[in-house]
Amino acid sequence: MEEYLSFVSIDAWTMIFTWVNLIILFLLLKKFLFKPINKMLDERAGEIENSYKTAENTKSEAAEIKAEYERRLQSAKSEADGIIKSAVETANTRSEGIVNEASEKAKHMLQRSKKQIESDKESAVREAREDIASMAVEIAGKIIGKKLDADTDAKLISDIIDRI
Amino acid sequence: MNGPKVVFTIPVFGGIKVTESIINMWIIMAVLVALSIWLTHGLRVRNPSRKQLILEKLAAMLYDMVRDVMGERYLPFAPYIGTLFLLSIVGSLSSLTGLRPYTGDLSVILSWTIVTFIMIQSNNIKNHGVFGWLKSFTQPVAFITPLNIISEIANPVSMTFRHFGNIAAGLVITSLVYSALASMSGFLLSWIPSGFIASIPIFQVGIPAVLSIYFDLFTSFLQAYIICMLTMVFVQGAGE
Repeated sequence: MEEYLSFVSIDAWTMIFTWVNLIILFLLLKKFLFKPINKMLDERAGEIENSYKTAENTKSEAAEIKAEYERRLQSAKSEADGIIKSAVETANTRSEGIVNEASEKAKHMLQRSKKQIESDKESAVREAREDIASMAVEIAGKIIGKKLDADTDAKLISDIIDRI
Repeated sequence: MNGPKVVFTIPVFGGIKVTESIINMWIIMAVLVALSIWLTHGLRVRNPSRKQLILEKLAAMLYDMVRDVMGERYLPFAPYIGTLFLLSIVGSLSSLTGLRPYTGDLSVILSWTIVTFIMIQSNNIKNHGVFGWLKSFTQPVAFITPLNIISEIANPVSMTFRHFGNIAAGLVITSLVYSALASMSGFLLSWIPSGFIASIPIFQVGIPAVLSIYFDLFTSFLQAYIICMLTMVFVQGAGE
């Protein structure tokens, strides 16, 4: 025969079983449902935290590298400026030297040319005098008709020319 | 209308009657645990599967609800609330499979609300001390103490009757409707001489499903939600 409890009834054993069931299910669900989920969520949170940290690190590293790069760029620039400056200076001094040397040389050459001209002029005058003297002796000899002793004549003539 | 059937009797302590409610609860528990193991199998931190996404969403809803209603420090309560919710809703919904829902058994619901009652009182003692707990019954004036005690006891009692009442009423109404529809079918088909055709319960097809949407789906969810919500509110309130 099937036995039923009444529709509205409080049965002590049912209550005890319910409590035991509730505790067992609570523990089982905690172990098999909530713990794995929470563990996974914690792991995920940890991973996210880690990747944030890594990103932060990478960022600061990049900033460092950038600063370093900028610093180097600056120093390279100033170095280049220095090189250009010194090059310009060197070029200036050298060009001055070249110009000075050239003008010196030119002056020198001018002087030498002047001297040359002077000496040429002198020698031309002397030659002319000698020619004139010999011509005069010849003319005089022809006029007088008598050939003088060449040496004496020459002496005589040059005396005359000197006196002129 | 019968209560839960006694399936077998353990012959100790003058016969422990193991009812349908308990057997069904064991079945539901086994299903829940198996489902938990299946759902939490192969959880991944990255690239979660669709199954995992749904599970995560449900877990997040539970934890958010506990956080919103009870506050951050009561978060360890969430697994119990989740257990209670699952036990209640799946128990009520088990009527869809033809099992007698154990949530329609007064003893079961009373056991749950007594647990809630113990949690309320122990949380009160934990936060205010034994003396503070006793003193809280005399607030705001001493002569109101009996009323305070009654109202404390009324909490689990009203919770019990609300949950039990809704599910049991659903059971009663559903069976009434079934028998009414059966007799209607019998009446309509009684002129047919064939006994077989006359026994076809034509009205029982379809019409109970409409009622079932309310009594089984809606009520099951609502009562599970209410019992969890009230447990959270009362326990949290006792800690204030």
